[in-house]
Amino acid sequence: MPDAVLTASPLRTIAAKDIRDALRDRFIVIVTAFLGLAATVALMTGAIALRGDVATYEAAKATLLAIGKAADAIKAPEFYPLRLLRGAIEQIEIIGAAIAILIGYRSAASERGRQTLALIFTRPLSRWQFVAGKALAGLGLLAGGLALVLGGLTLVLQLMSGIGLTADDLLRITIVWAVATAYTACFFLLGFLLTLHMRQPSHALLVAFAVWLLLVLIAPQIGDTLDPDNQVAGGVFRQLNIAKSDQVQIMKGFATYETLRDGIEQASVTKHFERFTFAVLGIKATYAGMPLGPILTEMLGNLVWIFLTALGLGALALAVPINPDRLAKA
Amino acid sequence: MSDPILSLHRLRQVFDGFTAVDDLSMAIPQGEIFGFLGHNGAGKTTTVQMLTTLARPTSGTATVAGHDICADPLAVRRAIGYVPENVRLYDTLTATENLLFFARLSGVADPRARVREVLDLLDCADLADRRVGGFSKGMRQRIGLAQAILHRPAVLFLDEPTSGLDPMGIKMLRDLILRLNAEFGMTIFMNTHLISEIAKTCTSIAVLSHGRLVFHDRIEAVTARYGDDTALEVLYLSLTPVGRLSEVA
Repeated sequence: MPDAVLTASPLRTIAAKDIRDALRDRFIVIVTAFLGLAATVALMTGAIALRGDVATYEAAKATLLAIGKAADAIKAPEFYPLRLLRGAIEQIEIIGAAIAILIGYRSAASERGRQTLALIFTRPLSRWQFVAGKALAGLGLLAGGLALVLGGLTLVLQLMSGIGLTADDLLRITIVWAVATAYTACFFLLGFLLTLHMRQPSHALLVAFAVWLLLVLIAPQIGDTLDPDNQVAGGVFRQLNIAKSDQVQIMKGFATYETLRDGIEQASVTKHFERFTFAVLGIKATYAGMPLGPILTEMLGNLVWIFLTALGLGALALAVPINPDRLAKA
Repeated sequence: MSDPILSLHRLRQVFDGFTAVDDLSMAIPQGEIFGFLGHNGAGKTTTVQMLTTLARPTSGTATVAGHDICADPLAVRRAIGYVPENVRLYDTLTATENLLFFARLSGVADPRARVREVLDLLDCADLADRRVGGFSKGMRQRIGLAQAILHRPAVLFLDEPTSGLDPMGIKMLRDLILRLNAEFGMTIFMNTHLISEIAKTCTSIAVLSHGRLVFHDRIEAVTARYGDDTALEVLYLSLTPVGRLSEVA
């Protein structure tokens, strides 16, 4: 008779194995390094420009002092170093989501291809523990990868921009890291779910990337492209000198159109991520210099949407039974 | 004869209107090396999937080591080991890391010690720290067998264990199976196509054709009735569609 006793949590065992396995996969390591590099290049370009602006201001101030005038004779410009993270956020939005799909795909396809699903499911553990272990590993990999990327960027920002980061800035970056983990987790779960359940793993990858194309590249752009006010540089209303009250009146005539346009945007988790991060980091001019509290209150809807999408996909992964055909055949 | 460790009662599996296993009933006593024969698509793998709790039967029931496969699947899993056909394991992990993973999932009390013990038992301690990705088919099959016996299962299910192995690999595996059965009293349930292996390894056999059991007896009874090993092949062919077609021809 077997002498087995449950001494280790299967969930933790599966997660630890998956992380170790993925970290030894050169492809995963290389694409993550590529994301870091792309984000760093985007940041460095902005940081060099900002450093130039800071130097120009410092030089002007020194000149004023040298000729005996007060330094406040010219208005001190406001520098927002976190806005330099715009490029990095866009890379996470697009490349980060694609990498998350690949990690999710790999997580399920490798078990199917190696016939190890059958070995796991003949062990005394529940299928929810398997799915939860996999999800935990995915979250760990994404959180770790994003921490490395954002941590590295913070360092570069500090060193290159010439402006010291405050505790508030670091808190904002930490919040963005947590939300970016939840955002990329949505795509990990999408890739994992489809690959685990579809007949052919390769077809699952194609479907996952079709969804990625729709959610990440098409839907968020539709909002901007179809916005009537975006059709002319600087805005139609502004160019025509139309007063705010009249703008509201005019837009009432486009209510259905606007609802549809907004609905497409709302359906994209990427748009919610962009709105949230752009606000928290002050990338969108309206939020630059605004305290964190009111921003979080205003952006709560976007935050809820991101976390609900991740939780919904996680619940789906736990709820859908696995077809025995997927256990032993690739 | 001891009490059956495997007991199947009217087991049936239907997929999209296709009956893969039909009304399968049999009992296998503890300590047997049971050879399960049948043509491709006869329902052998489906039967193993049901007995290992990977698939739920459409109807009927079975008990493994006294536990019902539907009512108590976790208890069944504690009592079994399973080696699927062409198992590959995790290429990026070493043999020890692979085995530690499965030992922990099985709840083995001291996984490291047990992994060393099993690697020694299967004479593959030299493979311990090598990544499985570089292993030959025979080496993989041995590590595959190792993962299945880590928790000292009462019943070991092997699905086409000799598939793709060279004669040396087949002999090595046969010796291991005989040793596990003799030294640890493990009941072996083996799906196979190789009739010669059945004659050399098994204590009882059954033949499945189109999901139905068409023969089940102890190997001594078969050889007493039909003569030598060659007669086993004649018996098998006479029970399968290929054999019946050749008879018609």
